[in-house]
Amino acid sequence: MQPQPAFLLHKRPYRETSALVDLLTLDHGRIRAVAQGVQRPGSRSRSRLQPFTPLHLTWVGAGELKRLRLMESTGSAPMLAGEGLLCGFYANELLTRLLPLELPVAEVFAFYGAAMKELPLPGERAGALRRMEFALLEALDAEPVFCDLDGVELDPQTRYVYRADARRFSPLAPGHAGGLDGRTLKLLEQGDWAAPGLAAPARSLARAALTPLLGERPLRARELMQQLAARRRSG
Amino acid sequence: MSFSPLVDRLLESLRVLPGVGPKTAQRMALHLLEREREGGERLASVLAQALAEVGYCQRCRTLTEEELCGLCRSTRRDERLLCVVESPADMLAIEEAGGYSGQYFVLHGHLSPLDGIGPEDIGLDLLEARLAEDGVDEVILATNPTVEGEATAHYIATQLTGRQIRLSRLAYGVPMGGELEYVDGGTLSRAFNGRLPFSGE
Repeated sequence: MQPQPAFLLHKRPYRETSALVDLLTLDHGRIRAVAQGVQRPGSRSRSRLQPFTPLHLTWVGAGELKRLRLMESTGSAPMLAGEGLLCGFYANELLTRLLPLELPVAEVFAFYGAAMKELPLPGERAGALRRMEFALLEALDAEPVFCDLDGVELDPQTRYVYRADARRFSPLAPGHAGGLDGRTLKLLEQGDWAAPGLAAPARSLARAALTPLLGERPLRARELMQQLAARRRSG
Repeated sequence: MSFSPLVDRLLESLRVLPGVGPKTAQRMALHLLEREREGGERLASVLAQALAEVGYCQRCRTLTEEELCGLCRSTRRDERLLCVVESPADMLAIEEAGGYSGQYFVLHGHLSPLDGIGPEDIGLDLLEARLAEDGVDEVILATNPTVEGEATAHYIATQLTGRQIRLSRLAYGVPMGGELEYVDGGTLSRAFNGRLPFSGE
């Protein structure tokens, strides 16, 4: 096979010198494989096979669990540190949890790759993650449809809440706080993430759409980010 | 062919050791049973005792059967320096390299959200309590240069905000006697960014 562009999502030790890895690949989506010998001290692939680094891989095996053959890193890894690193963990945890094995998701791969380049820059992080999240929602056929429950276009003046079960919006009952107004939702529909004031609504919409897919178990990377943010506020 | 049930159980048990497969386990078991019964008894009793008694040092969390390990009790070690490492093996490596005279804190792991390992699982609350006592001037972050090690370092740095404690991280560099051509790109670029003024002497 031709070497596939890929990213390492997760690696855990397997036996003594091998590792079980979850990878995001361009044409094959998420795959799971055994990387033999990478945990051996001094192994060259050990330092190569790191998360957030663009890789080129080949593997063998038709079953669910592949065996990695060739591993090469291409380009230099972005130096993720601090907040950007936690965002990277968040992206990896999200994809590991939600992507079924071997569902081709070229678009998610593209946005993930782009996000890895943008995460070192604080101003770009939120936008990069949102683009990846919405690509993921689309790939899973769970993206929000910007109209109300009856399929009617959203009214710019009305406030709406997202109904994940129907993937549509219903008007907020009068007297309730919160929700998103129709004008904001229209901007989100156009993918206009950079418009001022859109970061928070985009995040809450993405979260509302992702939560039912994630089920009960919370995302640990998000918890960690919240813990750190709380600490920084109190410190 | 198989031996008696007890011998088979011994073979099976020996295989919990790293690097020991069926063949090695058989060699070890036969050696103990046939040629080294005395040594085997010693091994069995020391192993049982160690498993029952060895725990974590209350101060630095390294392995010890005492309340405080030798390093923490020593008056020769500089209490103002604290080096945070991921494992007792890392601590030994630094000790063997020499040149460090401060104390340690052993995490026994690193932060890894995808494996569900959070700050409490690696004793970061204990570290914080230790740092709240006065007396530490500098914390040296010697977690591994992996993404998880980096995340752990970041968390500890956040714990330290607002305290008058210096924070440093081990430098990235080219290995001694190595050749640049064969150094991986990540290490090389970090070594480049962290280059130091050249001093002739």
